[in-house]
Amino acid sequence: MTVALEIEDVRKTFRSVVAVERASFRAEANEFVSIVGPSGCGKSTLLRMVAGLVAPTAGRIVVGGKRVSGPIRDAGMVFQAPVLLPWRTTLSNVLFVADVAGRTSAAHRERARELIALAGLAGFERAYPHQLSGGMQQRAAICRALLMNPPLILMDEPFGALDVMTRERMAFELAKIWAANRNTVLFVTHSISEAVLLSDTIVVMTPRPGRVRDIVKVDLPRPRDVSVLEHPRFVELSARVRNGIEMASEMDSQRKVVSDPTSVFVQ
Amino acid sequence: MTGSDPALAQASAAPEAVEPHPSRFVAPLRSAAAVAVFLLAWQFGVPLVHIPAYVLPLPSVIAHRFAETLALQLVNLGVTAMTTLAGLAIALVVGVLLALLVVYVEAVKSVIMPFLAAFNSIPKIAIAPLFVIWFGLGAESKILLAFLLALFPIFVNSMTGLGEIEPDILDLSRLAGGSSYRVFTMVRLMHATPYITDALKVAFPLALVGSIVGEFIGGNRGIGQLILAAQFNLDTPLVFAALLSITVFTTAGIWIITLFERRFLKWRPSQRSR
Repeated sequence: MTVALEIEDVRKTFRSVVAVERASFRAEANEFVSIVGPSGCGKSTLLRMVAGLVAPTAGRIVVGGKRVSGPIRDAGMVFQAPVLLPWRTTLSNVLFVADVAGRTSAAHRERARELIALAGLAGFERAYPHQLSGGMQQRAAICRALLMNPPLILMDEPFGALDVMTRERMAFELAKIWAANRNTVLFVTHSISEAVLLSDTIVVMTPRPGRVRDIVKVDLPRPRDVSVLEHPRFVELSARVRNGIEMASEMDSQRKVVSDPTSVFVQ
Repeated sequence: MTGSDPALAQASAAPEAVEPHPSRFVAPLRSAAAVAVFLLAWQFGVPLVHIPAYVLPLPSVIAHRFAETLALQLVNLGVTAMTTLAGLAIALVVGVLLALLVVYVEAVKSVIMPFLAAFNSIPKIAIAPLFVIWFGLGAESKILLAFLLALFPIFVNSMTGLGEIEPDILDLSRLAGGSSYRVFTMVRLMHATPYITDALKVAFPLALVGSIVGEFIGGNRGIGQLILAAQFNLDTPLVFAALLSITVFTTAGIWIITLFERRFLKWRPSQRSR
């Protein structure tokens, strides 16, 4: 397998605060990698460094064989908020990344329509963002990230602003959309179940300073649907991830993760 | 999967209203009725309290005087409209360009802002006589005054509209390989447009104030001069008739801006579900 993304001894400090401390991991091509950790573990910072939007203080980030030294091309990005342009329709918003680069073609339009249909937004191509629910807006944002079929997709807590029920459904939708595209994904979340459900690999991070605590390979069969939540291996893996986070939390003397075994999606 | 989406039904109904909006006809009717009641009360109430005609003429008298002097009104309104619109147009261009400079060149902001803030604190009307000294009694001094009064709201709103873009959108554009020209036209300018139309609604009457004050101070043409001449002759109905001309002009201007917003800014919260 080819390596799509390599993070080597990456460190980031903001003034005297260490946000990320010597993080190292890699993502194979077509792999779904999640970074899980409580708030303040530097996972968003790490993602922004991969995108080249923030420079690391030390260490090396390699994407597609090239060292990152500025905003990378060929990466799709999904933020916590949908950040759709209110004056653009769904179709036009999905096409924005092509429009702003001045390379929109008929093929892009067709792909945009396909993605919109795949995301369950068919019929809403001409709707404005304010006519869509939060979940629908975020699905449009995911379509936008997929439009140029980038080899790497970066997602920064994309479901963080949604309610729990929408959030669970969105995770399954993302699994479906991803299965149809198979780009390499780097997915930041603080939901353990979401990470186990979606990922091939989970990077567990500890807070203050952000360190890689554990790297968990998820060997659950795909495609994964709701039944996977009751799979004994799912429970086992979730426990391992939770354990990694909790050990860190205890060191931090503050428990940030609810360890209620009945809660499927830990917030 | 989308079937249970709570906003779905609502969203699909939003583009076309299911039933005709009742306020579409009711609201204008209500406004017209209110104006009619006001005019009737004026027409028949004022004689009861014995207010002399040179203080407050009756609406019928004003209407009559307006019709009588229509040609005079139009000529003078044309003069005032020209200086007002010229001042407004220059303010629009200069205001937006200044805002661009401030948004794109960080250093300019700290240099330009104290001057603008200081300048804005001067009542422009108070320095109007100075403009007459500098630029004479012609159209220039009026245009300059209209321009100065209209400039600030346009500049401030343009600065907000062009500058306050969500950082995530700018990051997204950078990752997509967007040129700064396209980010300007597709993001900043689009974002700024409603801010600028809002500013125009404020700046337009202000520019008119500039023109009319300019005419009060010097010159022999324009609605401001007509009002002064009418006042000198104690022709109160003509003063009111001139005010009516201005009102029609301002209302038409605001209406054109509103039409533009309805046509091109359909996505705005204020334009939704009309």
